[in-house]
Amino acid sequence: MATATADHDAHANPTGWKRYVYSTNHKDIGTMYLIFAIVAGIIGGALSGFMRWELAEPGIQIFPGLASMVYGHEWQSAAAIDAGKHMYNVFTTAHGLIMVFFVVMPALIGGYSNWFVPLMIGAPDMAFPRMNNISFWLLPPAFILLLMSMFFEGPPGGMGTGGGWTVYPPLSTTGQPGPAMDFAILSLHIAGASSILGAINFITTIFNMRAPGMTLHKMPLFPWAILVTAFLLLLSLPVLAGAITMLLTDRNFGTTFFTPDGGGDPILFQHLFWFFGHPEVYIMILPGFGVVSHIVATFSKKPVFGYLAMVYAMVAIGFVGFIVWAHHMYTTGISLDTQRYFVFATMVIAVPTGVKIFSWIATMWGGSLSFRPPMQWAIGFIFLFTVGGVTGVVLANAGADRSLHDTYYVVAHFHYVLSLGAVFSIFAAWYYWYPKMFGHMYSETLATVHFWVMFVGVNLIFFPQHFLGLNGMPRRYIDYPEAFAWWNQVSSWGYAVTLVAVLVFLYTIVDAIMKKRPAGDNPWGEGATTLEWTLPSPPPFHQFETLPKIK
Amino acid sequence: MAAHAKNHDYHLVDPSPWPFVGSVSAFVMAVGGIYWMRADVPWPFLIGLAGVLYTMFAWWSDVIKESHAGDHTPVVQLHHRYGMILFIASEVMFFVAWFWAYFDAFFYYDEVQQIGRVAATGGHWPPTGVELFDPWHLPIFNTLLLLTSGMTVTWAHHAILEDDRQGLKWGLILTCILGAIFTVVQAIEYAQAGFSFSGNIYGATFFMATGFHGFHVLVGTIFLLVCLFRALNGHFTPKQHLGFEFAAWYWHFVDVVWLFLFAAVYVWGSWGIAVGH
Amino acid sequence: MSQRETDVSKLLARLAIVISAFIAWAVPTTAFAQETGDPVTGQPTDGAIGFQPSVTTIMDSTAAFHNGLLMPIITVITIFVTALLIWVMVRYNSKANPTPARFTHNTLIEIVWTVVPILILIVIAIPSFGVLTDQMTTPDGERKYLGSSIFSRENGEQVPAAEITVTATGYQWYWGYEYNDLDGASFDSIMLSDEEIAATKPGQPRLLAVDNELVVPVNTTVRVLVTAADVIHAFAVPAFGVKTDAVPGRINETWFNARKEGLYYGQCSELCGKDHAFMPLAVRVVSKEEYAAWAEKLKAEDDVEAANMTLASLN
Ligand code: HEA
Ligand code: HEA
Ligand code: CUA
Ligand SMILES: [Cu+2]
Repeated sequence: MATATADHDAHANPTGWKRYVYSTNHKDIGTMYLIFAIVAGIIGGALSGFMRWELAEPGIQIFPGLASMVYGHEWQSAAAIDAGKHMYNVFTTAHGLIMVFFVVMPALIGGYSNWFVPLMIGAPDMAFPRMNNISFWLLPPAFILLLMSMFFEGPPGGMGTGGGWTVYPPLSTTGQPGPAMDFAILSLHIAGASSILGAINFITTIFNMRAPGMTLHKMPLFPWAILVTAFLLLLSLPVLAGAITMLLTDRNFGTTFFTPDGGGDPILFQHLFWFFGHPEVYIMILPGFGVVSHIVATFSKKPVFGYLAMVYAMVAIGFVGFIVWAHHMYTTGISLDTQRYFVFATMVIAVPTGVKIFSWIATMWGGSLSFRPPMQWAIGFIFLFTVGGVTGVVLANAGADRSLHDTYYVVAHFHYVLSLGAVFSIFAAWYYWYPKMFGHMYSETLATVHFWVMFVGVNLIFFPQHFLGLNGMPRRYIDYPEAFAWWNQVSSWGYAVTLVAVLVFLYTIVDAIMKKRPAGDNPWGEGATTLEWTLPSPPPFHQFETLPKIK
Repeated sequence: MAAHAKNHDYHLVDPSPWPFVGSVSAFVMAVGGIYWMRADVPWPFLIGLAGVLYTMFAWWSDVIKESHAGDHTPVVQLHHRYGMILFIASEVMFFVAWFWAYFDAFFYYDEVQQIGRVAATGGHWPPTGVELFDPWHLPIFNTLLLLTSGMTVTWAHHAILEDDRQGLKWGLILTCILGAIFTVVQAIEYAQAGFSFSGNIYGATFFMATGFHGFHVLVGTIFLLVCLFRALNGHFTPKQHLGFEFAAWYWHFVDVVWLFLFAAVYVWGSWGIAVGH
Repeated sequence: MSQRETDVSKLLARLAIVISAFIAWAVPTTAFAQETGDPVTGQPTDGAIGFQPSVTTIMDSTAAFHNGLLMPIITVITIFVTALLIWVMVRYNSKANPTPARFTHNTLIEIVWTVVPILILIVIAIPSFGVLTDQMTTPDGERKYLGSSIFSRENGEQVPAAEITVTATGYQWYWGYEYNDLDGASFDSIMLSDEEIAATKPGQPRLLAVDNELVVPVNTTVRVLVTAADVIHAFAVPAFGVKTDAVPGRINETWFNARKEGLYYGQCSELCGKDHAFMPLAVRVVSKEEYAAWAEKLKAEDDVEAANMTLASLN
């Protein structure tokens, strides 16, 4: 046995590249996910930068030049202008897909959940440590496939897929016959497989590996959020996989699922897509809900208000999230009765979400609040998510959505819940758990500067987009009538401010790594009560070798 | 041992190259798939596929070794059960997509505002130019076949619980044979189809749903074959035989999907309609 | 009742007063915003923060619903949440309140914040269904439409039954119009380049002006059958409050009845490829007499340019 054990030990802690590439350690895998998300976030953010640059003023400015540089069209030729127009759509599509699949999901689910679900439930690792690693390692191939798609033909004369992140046929089938779309489809297949495996892993871990004494009703809210999220992933992603497989066969094998000429129906795709797509938006926000609950409690020095209501609000949001999908399809020609049902069902979600908002405020009520960086981001989240949520309720009403659908009002809505909701929760979690993950502290001054600059920046970008939408500006437009110039310009200036914030963020990391201020086991004091704060920072390679007991 | 005094029953899996190798293979397979579809070059895809298959083989071999090394404590076995159930749940949702597509055509074949569809289907069911299968011919035969195979696999299960190795062996052999016959019959049926995969919605939904089911039958058969080889090599005990149990669960899942296909696509879809066979 | 709970109720009472005051102010202001009107109809205006002015019953009700009900409600909710956040930040920061309370439950308040949103949503839902049903119901001449009085159909307006049917087909990247009642006379409608605008329609807005507008008579109900030939597009005219996807293989029906002559622009509202931003819709609403002459000509010659010569506004 002695040799076997020594051998075993040599394997258990490999160093160098093998430590990560062969990893079966949830913390190392979580770190890889976070780095991946930051890289993808910079790319996705850069794409949106080109979009905002183009939209800063009326006319077509940037993209024909970009297309000439990337694809070698003759400068300012008609071909370059056409290629540029298509390239704008390619950027929008890639931006949406990257932000959704390669930034928000990897950061919140792959990154923080991998790190903290086991720690918070008192488990030594995930249930399937090796499968955990393939969940991560499937992402780089998926991301590379998506990036590769930009260098293959989409529509005749254009490179890459410009069908929007919703890839509606026939634009994604006969509209773009080149191979670019096939790359994007397979990218989604692989990213989806990664997420389904991750979901299985989280559900099993949470059900089976809670520390002795930790019943589900004693489990912290973050693992609860991930449990609900994982179920949404598990049940919605396979339907997307089916839908895009049909796209693939329609494109390559002559099937007619979405082709009316062969008896198919383009609207069928939209049903399948949104049956996945709507749960997907809650997949992106529920982990944030979990994070914010902990941060608010920690920095109020007060337990979460209404724990059970918080849990069941998330369960309710997850459940109702499956039966509201067609609110994205009010203008497609679905019947009046169908629209009535979806209006009603969609509005119901405001109730459990309101429970969460008010419970966070009630957690702070009577507390002893300190506004350290994580708390700033969390409070920012609550405010911005509310703004995004209430415009969702406007859109839920098909009667109002008739005027707002496919306008910038929708763009404003979903960036408030995503770029200002989900992303703020990502940064909140980053500043909350950074000392725990890496053992050293960042500059709280820099983090505060990051918060304020970003807060101003993203509001400048997205608040005016409500006005553009109300006034009728359609989305996915490279150019617009002069009458939309003013608010677009404001929006683009907002991007410049946000860019500064992202740079401050990156500098904060560099600064933290260089200065290595020791963090201590629990930098946040008595308010931080969950299990991860009982461990050293960073936690040992294998934590909880003796399982903690929960009273 | 001191450095790793683990006082719990969880399995902290050793580092492994397979996830990475598998991912790289998946990437090659994806790019290769596009080359195959687009440029008629099959090799990159086949290389990727070989990598994926090799990864599966190596990975699951490791799992079996770990099982024999005693890593699969009761709680770890419970993990595996959850994992398999959840995997099957996701598969169910995958089939939901095919059934959704089928019912979209079946229920709305003559919806007036869908002029394109009505023109293509002729506004009647089955769509113009489609000759349906007689459900009471090969399909009912296959249904009975699969139901029987569900029984033989249960027989094998009972046998192993009672440590009856012969029963286990023959139960598995019979199930595999029945699975193989199902596939052959399905192939014969496909060859007689009065419609094609491309160009019409009936063929698309029919072949996609039954085809993915057929693929699952194949996978299930291979899964059972592996169990058979393992059984012949003395694997599995009356107390611990998760690999076999999962193959059985998977087989039942495939069976149930078929019952839905048979009921919805073959029987309901051809109700009151003159059919060929 | 503890000290803290009385604090809560006091604060809630104060907030209630503030909120009602706000509603009293906001509802009338926003509701009338669209009435005060803007000289520019049928197109966006720079710096605008609301809908384009309405010229149909449907857009009247949409605007009344949004400006008069949804907008005030969501503003109040947001201000309410913000006020609470500011209050807790001021009152319960660690300086002002060094020792935190430990309470985690208050059944009454939890019931309140579940029930009140439900009531708000019910208040929204009632006109919401009305507005939606109006939009989706092509007039038969009898039915009353809400108009801006979204809570009661009693004072609603009757809209005449549809007299004209037009089929609008989306193509990559222009619109085709067919007049079903004029022996299927048809023509295409293509965006004008800057040079063409300068040459033929000076003063018309870039990216919105087209060569041949869809011509319809004022105060007449027009039924539009919307479809597409290649990929999905969407037929949308903001001032009319219509937006309907143009889906290949499908025919979607919508309708409008414009009460004011003029030019009304819309833009394709479903991503359809490279020139999605360059396939505007333009509707020219003319007097009934003018339309009759125009239609006569179009029907006789199936030549839209000849027909357009009959229009005073184009000469
Ligand atoms: C994180 C992502 C996220 C989240 C959380 C939400 C949340 C909601 N969304 Fe959003 N949505 C998106 C991401 C998200 N959405 C995206 C990406 C799109 C566009 C996709 C595309 O086309 O590309 C979209 C589009 C979209 C549409 C389609 C618009 C269109 O295309 O025309 C609709 C319509 O119903 C909608 C509704 C809602 C509603 C009702 C909620 C609700 O869950 C919001 C609930 C929250 C609140 C209401 C605030 C807090 C509550 C209170 C303070 C209580 C009191 C409130 C009331 C009584 C109202 N969303
Ligand atoms: C999470 C999702 C997300 C995020 C964060 C963003 C962020 C931004 N988006 Fe995006 N956007 C979408 C999702 C998102 N978007 C989607 C789905 C669409 C629809 C696509 C379609 O139509 O098909 C869209 C479309 C869209 C449009 C409409 C284009 C059109 O219709 O023509 C515009 C235009 O202004 C825009 C701009 C921006 C800008 C300026 C930002 C800025 O906020 C960007 C600033 C950069 C960041 C905020 C990144 C910071 C994050 C990190 C660096 C990672 C950190 C990670 C860790 C700490 C672990 N986006
Ligand atoms: Cu046509 Cu967009
Ligand atoms: Cu949705």
